[in-house]
Amino acid sequence: MSSNALGLFGDPVSALAAAGTLKDAGFARPELMSPIPIHGVEEVLGPKKSVIRRFTLFGAIFGGLGGFALAAGTAVLYVHPTGGRPVITFPPFLIITYEMTILFGILATVLGFLISARFPAIRERVYAPETAVDKFAVTVTCDNEDTFSRAAAILRAAGAEEVRNIREGE
Amino acid sequence: MPTEEKPLQFADVNNDIVRSLVVTGRNYYITLGIAMFVALACFFFPWFYQLYYGIGAAGMNHPTVWGTYLASFIFWIGLSHSGTLLSCVLHITNSEWRKAMYRSAEAMTLFSLLVAATMVMVHVGRPWFIHWAAPYPNQMGLWPNFKSPLLFDVMAITTYLTGSLIFIYMGSIPDFAAVRDRTSGWRRHLYVLLSLGWRGTDTEWHRLGWAYTFLAVLIIPLAVSVHSIVSWDFAMSLVPGLHQTIFAPYFVVGAIYSGTAGIVTVMFVLRKYMNFEHLITQLHFDNLGKLLLFLSLLWTYINMLELFTGWYSGTSAEYEQIKYKLTGFYAPLYWEMILFCAVAPLLMFSTKFRTSFVPMLVLSIAINIGMYTERFLIIATTLSRQYLPDAWGVYVPSLVEISILVGSLAVFVTLFLIFVKIFPSVSIYEVKETMPQPRKREANLES
Amino acid sequence: MNFIDRFVAGWAKYRKPGYYEDFDYAWTMTIDLDRCSGCGACVTACQAENNIPIVGEEELRKGREMQWIRIERYWEGEYPNAKLKFIPMLCQHCDAAPCETVCPVSATYHNQDGLNTQIYNRCIGTRSCAVYCPYEVRYFNYYDHHWDAPLEQQLNPDVTVREKGVMEKCTFCVQRIRQAKDHAKDDGRRRLRDGDVQPACVQSCPTEALNFGDRKDSSSKVYRSMHDPRAYHVLEELNTLPSVVYLKKVETHAD
Repeated sequence: MSSNALGLFGDPVSALAAAGTLKDAGFARPELMSPIPIHGVEEVLGPKKSVIRRFTLFGAIFGGLGGFALAAGTAVLYVHPTGGRPVITFPPFLIITYEMTILFGILATVLGFLISARFPAIRERVYAPETAVDKFAVTVTCDNEDTFSRAAAILRAAGAEEVRNIREGE
Repeated sequence: MPTEEKPLQFADVNNDIVRSLVVTGRNYYITLGIAMFVALACFFFPWFYQLYYGIGAAGMNHPTVWGTYLASFIFWIGLSHSGTLLSCVLHITNSEWRKAMYRSAEAMTLFSLLVAATMVMVHVGRPWFIHWAAPYPNQMGLWPNFKSPLLFDVMAITTYLTGSLIFIYMGSIPDFAAVRDRTSGWRRHLYVLLSLGWRGTDTEWHRLGWAYTFLAVLIIPLAVSVHSIVSWDFAMSLVPGLHQTIFAPYFVVGAIYSGTAGIVTVMFVLRKYMNFEHLITQLHFDNLGKLLLFLSLLWTYINMLELFTGWYSGTSAEYEQIKYKLTGFYAPLYWEMILFCAVAPLLMFSTKFRTSFVPMLVLSIAINIGMYTERFLIIATTLSRQYLPDAWGVYVPSLVEISILVGSLAVFVTLFLIFVKIFPSVSIYEVKETMPQPRKREANLES
Repeated sequence: MNFIDRFVAGWAKYRKPGYYEDFDYAWTMTIDLDRCSGCGACVTACQAENNIPIVGEEELRKGREMQWIRIERYWEGEYPNAKLKFIPMLCQHCDAAPCETVCPVSATYHNQDGLNTQIYNRCIGTRSCAVYCPYEVRYFNYYDHHWDAPLEQQLNPDVTVREKGVMEKCTFCVQRIRQAKDHAKDDGRRRLRDGDVQPACVQSCPTEALNFGDRKDSSSKVYRSMHDPRAYHVLEELNTLPSVVYLKKVETHAD
């Protein structure tokens, strides 16, 4: 039932300024939408921490251990004496370990990206197609008409070219 | 929409890319048709023939049991090397000029890897059992041999293929979203799925930036390891001329070299036939030319070192190897390689040469011909002159092999042609980043 | 869990260089080049025993002949003073075999007899073992080979016929070793005695240049023969630890 105020801007600077004003006015964290990454978002809207790095780290560790376990474990599972080498040999198994470290590092990074950026989207979300071209949008969730008009006023004052009211949910 | 009153710079990029996807000329269909026909006639038909009758359809014989199939395998893996690797390095070092070209370079990586994997299937004697080289629990209780350099290859190439696919896909998500909003019909359904619901919020950009950088950092050592591992297929043997520690850097440099030349070729074609003149400029060719020149010098140096270490070893087998390489049956090919890969690239010392498109195209193709020769010679000259002179023999590729080589090129072209109609072949958002940013204008204040 | 126990308990054993357990036998062949006349009886015997295909003229010209044991010929000097030297070359059953480590599917490995075996069923035909073998004694089936009637009736029932795309090589007539072991078991013996088993090439050698036996048995003929001062390995500098020992030909007049 909540409605969203969405202001379209022609440039990133005023969009960012509008977002900052909204935040200072006590709104929930405004969201920016843009065709290119905007620099300096963190200074205005507060720092962001991404969990992706942890995914990558643990994925890589898991892959490394798993890679060695795969090579060494299967060598023991069905012993094939070859070339006068020990059954568990480090130099070749470390190469497998290396590759698996990277493979699982990559896969975990993707998983971390999908989870932390909430992908794939299943429901429709607030969106303005113009932001994929050359517009910069600021959206903020509003509980009722009052807050919406307050947000819209702030957005217009900051230089929004257009303000939309997008209803979410039903 | 209020966008119409603007100078429309950002929108131009979207229009260009969407047009490249949606508007398809007759020439495209003709090229695609020819490529598919050649792929069928020259690649799949001889391959099925070979599958039916046995690998004897190729020209391999007793001492030289490896042939052009493996040379093609190394060649395609090598070609794959500049795409994603170069893209990652340039991403991390924040090079602006990367942005117009990296998508097609990454696609090159992906498709050359696919072709390389197919070449393995063509190469082995019983491809219907190729899955035995993959580690999976099975009713026989048997596992692959993880001590084998060939298995390192399996793992490395699987990882590289996965990594490249994910890397190119992740970088394209915002572009899929941009294209999604502009297309209809089956394309829209496709892009809705592919874009995952991308909206371009600050959180999404932030996560994408992190994930993308992490991937780049992971893929650089991976790409280096992939070609080192390919080189170990050879260097871990005892064959004189192959058993050398220099092989890993040799292969990696050769791979990046031929890959960069491949990018020049692809960029020329894209520029010419996809009308990206204002996106792919002389600057790109100039920079790639400098890179190519550097790589060619490095490659020449390693080649001289290879001869030197062989001579310095002082063993008769290595002497014979060098003598055979420089003056033997395959010597014309060797000198052709030196001409194309070591001498001709010196032209790139001239700025004028680097910034002219057609000469760069010709040179890039010559380099790749030379590099293919190099891979062929690595196999043919060494295997035909091993320790026991009684088992010496000469190998000449058969018609089937040559046909499959040509056909593999057509397979690559086909895949690439399909790609340019599905993937935005130039990154929309990264090109926009290089353009002048929209400025605040007082006139827009009224609403 | 059972597997992890095995893994941990066996760690030291599995980390042992060389082979993690001692093999029952160490089959060895010695080839006395002083006795060898280069007649090629071994080549023919091997062909008959092991169902080695006759590839035909066309294939031979391409250099795809198959001889698990071959007589290598080397000419020394120019025509009036030319000298012919020859040496039988077969799989050396190396203890540190380069071909074994390279197979991605473990189609070739060391068995409990210390033999370098080739598992035809498992082979996927990457041919890398043939590249890695410095002795060039691995042969590849480029095609399916046929025996025209009635030649198929002379195929050895104890040995498989290999299909296209498979690598093959000398097995030291593993079928005979297996059979001899069975007979020994029937007789209630635990080990084979010297002379219980002979590969086809050894059996057919008219000058008894070839000798086959277990080098773990210090009373065996092969043990004595391999400790002859003339003994050497081919390409010893590669450190492949071959199980085939050659006895150098002694030149009576050196010029």
